[in-house]
Amino acid sequence: MTELLVGTKKGLMVLRGSGGRPLEIAGRAFAGEVVEFATRDRRSGRYFAAVTHGQFGPHLFFADDPTKAWAQAEGPAFPTAAKAAVERIWVVEPGIGDGILWCGVAPAALFRSTDGGKSWALVEGLWNVPERGNWEPGAGGLCLHSICPWPGDAKRLAVGISSAGVWLTEDAGRSWRRSVGGLVPRYLPEEARKDTHAYCVHNMHRAPRQPHTLYMQFHGGVYRSDDGGESWNDIGSDRGLPSDFGFPLVVDPHDPDRAYIIPLKADADRVTPDGCVRVYETSDRGSTWVARGDGLPRSQAYLTVLRQAFCSDGGNPLGLYFGATSGEVFGSVDGGRTWSTVAERLPPVASVRCGDN
Amino acid sequence: MPRMILSGSVREHAGGLGTIEVGGATAAAAIQSLEAAYPALRGWIVDERGALRRHVKLFRRGEAIALDAPVAPADEVHIVAAISGG
Repeated sequence: MTELLVGTKKGLMVLRGSGGRPLEIAGRAFAGEVVEFATRDRRSGRYFAAVTHGQFGPHLFFADDPTKAWAQAEGPAFPTAAKAAVERIWVVEPGIGDGILWCGVAPAALFRSTDGGKSWALVEGLWNVPERGNWEPGAGGLCLHSICPWPGDAKRLAVGISSAGVWLTEDAGRSWRRSVGGLVPRYLPEEARKDTHAYCVHNMHRAPRQPHTLYMQFHGGVYRSDDGGESWNDIGSDRGLPSDFGFPLVVDPHDPDRAYIIPLKADADRVTPDGCVRVYETSDRGSTWVARGDGLPRSQAYLTVLRQAFCSDGGNPLGLYFGATSGEVFGSVDGGRTWSTVAERLPPVASVRCGDN
Repeated sequence: MPRMILSGSVREHAGGLGTIEVGGATAAAAIQSLEAAYPALRGWIVDERGALRRHVKLFRRGEAIALDAPVAPADEVHIVAAISGG
């Protein structure tokens, strides 16, 4: 059975069915509220939903069955001394170690749970880095949206912040350093790039089978790191991509050489280029990219796919799913070679994650 | 004791109650008292800085009030979700 958790502008849609066929809406939660992100911690089986209520702000909920009752987590919320309030919850990521999870929010901050996601505490080390006063928001706000644990090493973590770059810790969050070597912020005048703090990371994922390999979708540029995020190599220029701008990114959990992106026309437009929906796959660490569009709309389709709206199911062959703000969800059960529409006429899709991974 | 009148979806975080008697001499103190009695309400009416959520309004005797407004024992304070969204 395939289970997708689709966060939309009007609630969480729990889609279920057989892979490769249209999925049914098995449940809907948080009707009328914006579900920014939903995921499942495969270790505990617990589901999480980040909900932004139009009047009452952002809140995190958890459940053992996403089609039944949800409980509200304690946090994430800033301590009084931080003099800040959570504006949006962007991502929840299982960590390394029993009950450890991480949560990224706007304004850019990282929270940690040690009790399986029931309660959350601010990671003070990142919040208090001296450079934070220089951080600037991207169009989506100053947000920490990408969290990359290091399999087998609970102390190492990489996070991506828009637009404050990549930050690394090797002591479980007590101390942090920025790591942006190789990234080129082309959106700035050349003479302003050297001293800028404005590194607009759009998405970042680690290859779990080879943790020193990470892939990144940047605000104009696709990059790979071979050294755990210490430095970054351009894998987007002159390689056949219709655009090196975008947000969605998936790394094959079984193959560190394989990754997928969905380019969007840069950067004021932010729709699928030429009205044609295509996923681009690399199987050689970004040396070349191949368009995967069999079964996807080929014309008159100007879709926007948001940052968290693309995922894999972790299977082999790999299942891939993405949703658009126009309300469609597309899926592939063969690693991207062929695609089909698995849901349509949903509210604008903010996030897609597999519940059965 | 002042009475807090809850509307809409926040009621579900206060055991489904629409009217709750609380302590406090100001609207802020009354909300703190409400949160102490119903911890699930924390973060819904005011954020973690204690600021009123942008689209939440408080009314007393038909007038919109700020958090530092005094409330008398006979007062009713309506917590209203402003019309917003899309």
